[in-house]
Amino acid sequence: MNNSKNQRDSDIQKKIDHEIRMRDGACKLLAACSQKDQALEAAKSLQTCSTRIMAYMSELQRMKEAQVMQKVTRRSSDAGPMDDRLPCKGKVAISDLRIPLMWKDTEYFKNKGELHRCAVFCLLQLGEEIFDTDMVIVDRTLTDICFDNTIVFSEASPGFELRVELYSCCSEDDYSAGSTPRKLASKLSSSLGRSAGKKLRAAMEPGPCSPVSNGGGAPLLLPVPSVPGPKYHLLAHTTLSLSHVQDSFRTHDLIISGNEECSYWLPLYGSMCCRLAAQPHCMTQQMMSGCLKVKQQCGGDPQSWTKVHAVLKGTSLFCYYRQEDVEANVEPAFTIGINKETRIRASEKDPLSKVQNICISNHYGGEEVTHTVTTDGREETHRWMEAFWQHFYDMSQWKQCCDDLMKIELPSPRKPAPITPKQGSLYHEMVIESSDDLSSTVSDILARRMQELELRSQLGTSPTWMSAFEESTARCTGRSRHCTRMSGHSPCTPHRLPRSPVSPHRCPQLGLLSSDASLTSDSDSHCSTSPCSHHHGWPEPTSSYSLLSSSPSRLRPRTLSLDAKLSTLRGRGYGGGGTFQCSCQPPPSSLLAPLPISSCSPRSQHSTQTTLSCSSSTSSNSSSNSEGSHSPESSEGGPFSRPSPARRSLRNLRARLDPRNWLQSQV
Amino acid sequence: MSFVPGQPVTAVVERVEIQKLRQGENLILGFSIGGGIDQDPGQNPFSEDKSDKGIYVTRISPKGPADLAGLKIGDKIMQVNGWDMTMVTHDQARKKLTKKREDVVRLLVTRKSLEEAVKQSKGCYHKP
Repeated sequence: MNNSKNQRDSDIQKKIDHEIRMRDGACKLLAACSQKDQALEAAKSLQTCSTRIMAYMSELQRMKEAQVMQKVTRRSSDAGPMDDRLPCKGKVAISDLRIPLMWKDTEYFKNKGELHRCAVFCLLQLGEEIFDTDMVIVDRTLTDICFDNTIVFSEASPGFELRVELYSCCSEDDYSAGSTPRKLASKLSSSLGRSAGKKLRAAMEPGPCSPVSNGGGAPLLLPVPSVPGPKYHLLAHTTLSLSHVQDSFRTHDLIISGNEECSYWLPLYGSMCCRLAAQPHCMTQQMMSGCLKVKQQCGGDPQSWTKVHAVLKGTSLFCYYRQEDVEANVEPAFTIGINKETRIRASEKDPLSKVQNICISNHYGGEEVTHTVTTDGREETHRWMEAFWQHFYDMSQWKQCCDDLMKIELPSPRKPAPITPKQGSLYHEMVIESSDDLSSTVSDILARRMQELELRSQLGTSPTWMSAFEESTARCTGRSRHCTRMSGHSPCTPHRLPRSPVSPHRCPQLGLLSSDASLTSDSDSHCSTSPCSHHHGWPEPTSSYSLLSSSPSRLRPRTLSLDAKLSTLRGRGYGGGGTFQCSCQPPPSSLLAPLPISSCSPRSQHSTQTTLSCSSSTSSNSSSNSEGSHSPESSEGGPFSRPSPARRSLRNLRARLDPRNWLQSQV
Repeated sequence: MSFVPGQPVTAVVERVEIQKLRQGENLILGFSIGGGIDQDPGQNPFSEDKSDKGIYVTRISPKGPADLAGLKIGDKIMQVNGWDMTMVTHDQARKKLTKKREDVVRLLVTRKSLEEAVKQSKGCYHKP
């Protein structure tokens, strides 16, 4: 035990030395650099190094004190075996820090007064690990201070305390050198946190010696260099713990130090948003593995045991047929859930094998399912029971982190600036690569795109609307008109065909389709009420548009465009030069079967995906014209077993002409 | 069809003369436009350059005046009766097209195929 302690001592000492070197380097850089940005960065590193040194030193101090205490207790009582169970450690990650600011409106909107800029960064401390975020320059044009970094602490116990400190420094000061030590001490004491700073201040004062005793003889304080340059001050801090861990963003309160008079002041709103996630090791690592024999569920025969290699990890006991399967990532033979509601007990000795069985009971639905498991020997059984108890203890200590594995995204070391599309919409997927390909017109590209889609759908991920064209029993509910027209074309399910792709039918090129076209001819559009929707019982979207997706694999956020309000304007038919024609009359719901994509159904109604109804409703207004898009090359005839690529391409095109995204006017 | 600020824009254009059709008390042309300097150019499915804020034809009513005159979907309108359309807001463009006192609009439109056609005609003469 002494050896490990010594090992830790020397580890910490090495870390301290390293940090001291870093700090010296930062000081030199600070003294040497001329540009403000460099100076701010160097000052930040200086601050971080100093804090780390303080932390390591206090850790050393604690260890020495613990050593001393242990000697004391050992003398006084017989040290029994330590049978306190220690919970497993875990990873804690904090990301997407955002601190809102609260500028006065005179400052923010009218830009009055001189622009007061501050450089800010956050120091995050958990136990011994201290990390800093990148530095952000803040002035009154920003509404929030955002830190994009994800900080991961790797060895945290469930009772962790994550201290978040926000430092800021006015970025216009003349960095005057030669502050008196007292001033420096007071500044540092506010920067380093109260208790550490008080120690520091006390140590720097030549007066009575500091209350912190030098138990081990190591110097508690190294002389803090007074370097000219920007100095950071603590603006706000807060402490997060296990109760704040959640798999989503939460808001926490900040404790603000400083007031308006300070140069480093920023008007903070008083709270901080972040995502604090934790991955205890019991969820990510194999806590226990070995050979088990599981009694067959169905057999009454007590001899039918299945030999498996079991792995206890997370909320399950995975049972593989062979040990090699674990590495091979083969699916386990079966999985027994081990969670907070599981009950495990050892049953009486099995008369045949003289070994206790372990019974694992779970509630699945309303039933109680019990698996009986046995091992090779008594020691094995004991080990497994011990592992189970440890696992339960871990789960009770880590509480909500053990319900489900929280994701922690580790950013790649050199993350390029994310190229966000201006507004997420399907349009951005369509790259018109007409540079090389002379023959490419819009429709050709669309046709190619549809083929891609077709390929994808062949792999089984067909967009739901494709099913509208699948051979299926023609369900003739509704209009007899449709039925009569449909008589000749069995593969068509008239009721499910969206109305929009009517247009191509008119074109003589799409000969085969022309008769089908009559199905969804515009003359009907006004009186349609989407028999399909009633059919499938999907809820009608409240807006007049029903949405489909032509790219099922991707979800795009809804674009909010200026002309969103146009969706409420009614079209005026063919006439009406001059008004914005968005033409969404109530029956547009008829135009499309609202078929949300299975994979993303709750959102599909609201996400902007192909809106065929829109374009067709536009056309439906005008009595004579229905579609408008000519797509001259879009004729790819073919038997009507699936909608032709041309048709689909038209639909695609029409989808992109959603007036909610891009204003269009009829003239 | 993108532009370099400071440089004149050049394009191969076609003249399209559309006779407005009277429908009741409205004069209609039979097409729809999209785009404008106040609109998001990224949403334009027809433009080659996604920063092109010009006015594009997004829909043609079949057998309407524009269709008969030869306007095609995806055309970019450069001029309307002499008024420039490359640097206008959406509403300004609409207004220039729908003047009640004008019976006819003469457009200058451009499209990719025009460029291609000119290129090919200037190209080699030796192709069989």
